[in-house]
Amino acid sequence: MDIVQHWLHGFAVATTPENLLFVVIGSVLGTLVGLLPGLGPIEGTAILIPLTYRMEPIPALIMLAAIYYGAMYGGTISSVLVNVPGEGVSVVTCFDGYQMARQGRAGVALGVAAIGSFVGGTIATVALMLVALPLARVALAIGPPEMFALLLIGFVLVATLGGRRLLPSLLMALVGLLLAMVGMDPVRGAPRLAFGVPELYDGIGFIPVVMGLFGVAEIMLALEHPTPPAPGARVGGLRGMLPSREEWPRVAGAIGRGTLLGFLLGLIPGIGAVIPTFAAYALEKRLSRHPERFGTGVVEGVAAPETANNAYANASMVPLLTLGVPGSPTLAVLMGAFIIHGVTPGAFLFRERPDLVWGLIASLYVGNLVLLVLNLPMVGLWARLLELPRAYLYPAILLFAIIGCYSVRQSLFDVGLMLVFGVLGYLVRKLDWPVAPTVLALILAPLMEKALRNSLEMSGGDASIFVTRPIAALLLGVAAVALVLAAAGLGPIRRLGAPPEP
Amino acid sequence: MKRAWQLTSLGFCALALVALVESLRYPMLDRLGPGPGLFPCLLALATAGVGLALAVQVSLGRVPEAEDPEARLLPSREARRPVLAVLVALAGATLLLGVLGFRLTMFLFLVGLPWALGARNPWAIVLFALAGSVGLHWVLSTGLELPLPAGRLGL
Repeated sequence: MDIVQHWLHGFAVATTPENLLFVVIGSVLGTLVGLLPGLGPIEGTAILIPLTYRMEPIPALIMLAAIYYGAMYGGTISSVLVNVPGEGVSVVTCFDGYQMARQGRAGVALGVAAIGSFVGGTIATVALMLVALPLARVALAIGPPEMFALLLIGFVLVATLGGRRLLPSLLMALVGLLLAMVGMDPVRGAPRLAFGVPELYDGIGFIPVVMGLFGVAEIMLALEHPTPPAPGARVGGLRGMLPSREEWPRVAGAIGRGTLLGFLLGLIPGIGAVIPTFAAYALEKRLSRHPERFGTGVVEGVAAPETANNAYANASMVPLLTLGVPGSPTLAVLMGAFIIHGVTPGAFLFRERPDLVWGLIASLYVGNLVLLVLNLPMVGLWARLLELPRAYLYPAILLFAIIGCYSVRQSLFDVGLMLVFGVLGYLVRKLDWPVAPTVLALILAPLMEKALRNSLEMSGGDASIFVTRPIAALLLGVAAVALVLAAAGLGPIRRLGAPPEP
Repeated sequence: MKRAWQLTSLGFCALALVALVESLRYPMLDRLGPGPGLFPCLLALATAGVGLALAVQVSLGRVPEAEDPEARLLPSREARRPVLAVLVALAGATLLLGVLGFRLTMFLFLVGLPWALGARNPWAIVLFALAGSVGLHWVLSTGLELPLPAGRLGL
């Protein structure tokens, strides 16, 4: 079957009435959870996983993917209207988006974000369709040593790009790896680090950790800093959402560059969703004839990061689907959902479940179109939802977090774990330490350990297998260079992780 | 914040040492190669090392610049009550779900927490709590067949 047939097959799967319905439901739910304060793509995807338990894998994963990119767009709405980014990916959008809202141009900011997201997401999906199969074929030739080295690169990038300071980031990533050791040994099947607690024999689930570190902690932090009502929440009609004729060329350029940057960075496992938005904003500012205007409400300051954000979101499916390596905490949650539905992401997926993988990829294209069609006219409604009283909103979010934690394993212990990680997340986030590396490391750790142990078993315990195989040696070298550059506080690695000035 | 950084780093360091001691109980190597204790042991050592390095770095005065110089680890006096209310409500729900079941526990949760967070309209609170407990239970258990805790009372 050639690639065109795969595409057509994927579109046939994604456009069945049932799957189309789930794309629409996922996009709406995703936008809804993404725009609510205290919820971003990570928590939104995690909270809504239980809704898919009784569904077949294909519609379930199509809906969860739609929730993922819908939540990305939802974060934009709260960034522009109330200057509250759902999570890191929307921080840069606040710089100019909120200023535009204060000038009464919230509609234009949201319209440009929707158009940029659509273009970036669509082009990235087409590119994803082109590169996924060849990459999956390459991935099939990768052995455990190469996989370990690749995962190590992801881990180093997560640890070094996750925050502005190396040691706290590294420590939080190591804590995630250590937490993943609790439970059954993946090779021998014996319990370890469970301290005699039977509930820990199954390990520490990622859902309670995600809900705690992000959801509960975010609500506790938000209660300390209540958000003021939105001054520019009036959006106006569809016509009021388009940029002026003079702005179009600048918007088009920003969207083009944002797409390219977002897609390329999305191919690197572990780079995270925040970096592409920072990089796209910084690039636009550098190329602009009037860099001093950035931060005062320029339209390309919204178009570039929003486009890069969505291009990244779709491109980052490449390492997830071909290698089984999640590039960001949200994708780690999505990968967890794959596993819950009995689907293991990786190169074999293209051979064993072509209907699922191509249907999912095609659904990204359909979903981007649905988001554009739905969100342009619905922005006014979303804006009104932001006015919901926090006294009801936060208990409702916590209610869904409890259900999400309980229903994965029907365990009240997991609900208790969520509370513990909520307190931990609150404390470390007050210290300005990043928590995303913990979640990503928690997901990467079993894969890393399995690859490491399989490699050593292949070589009879000889660690030189990692340097005698050229690709593994090269990848390990890249990981080492990235770590050294980050430790030295110089080079592109640290600059990439640094947020741009508005 | 300097003290908080030190305490947190050392706290993680202590946890890593506990994991290190526990991991030493498992074989490091066996006839198939690396054993179940090897990876946890290496990670515990690395975590303890980085935690210690961070504590030393902070103690030597290399305190990273604070994002907000006024920032405090614990909530401010005004925020203490709502933050505590969230924690108490979550802890209470965790303990009661197994006894009272989903509907009753969530009804109490959704009455108590909005009240503690400042909602004062009793009708709105009760309607909200009924929708979130009885209504949601019906949707999730009947519509989506999602298992929810019944509790010892079967509610």
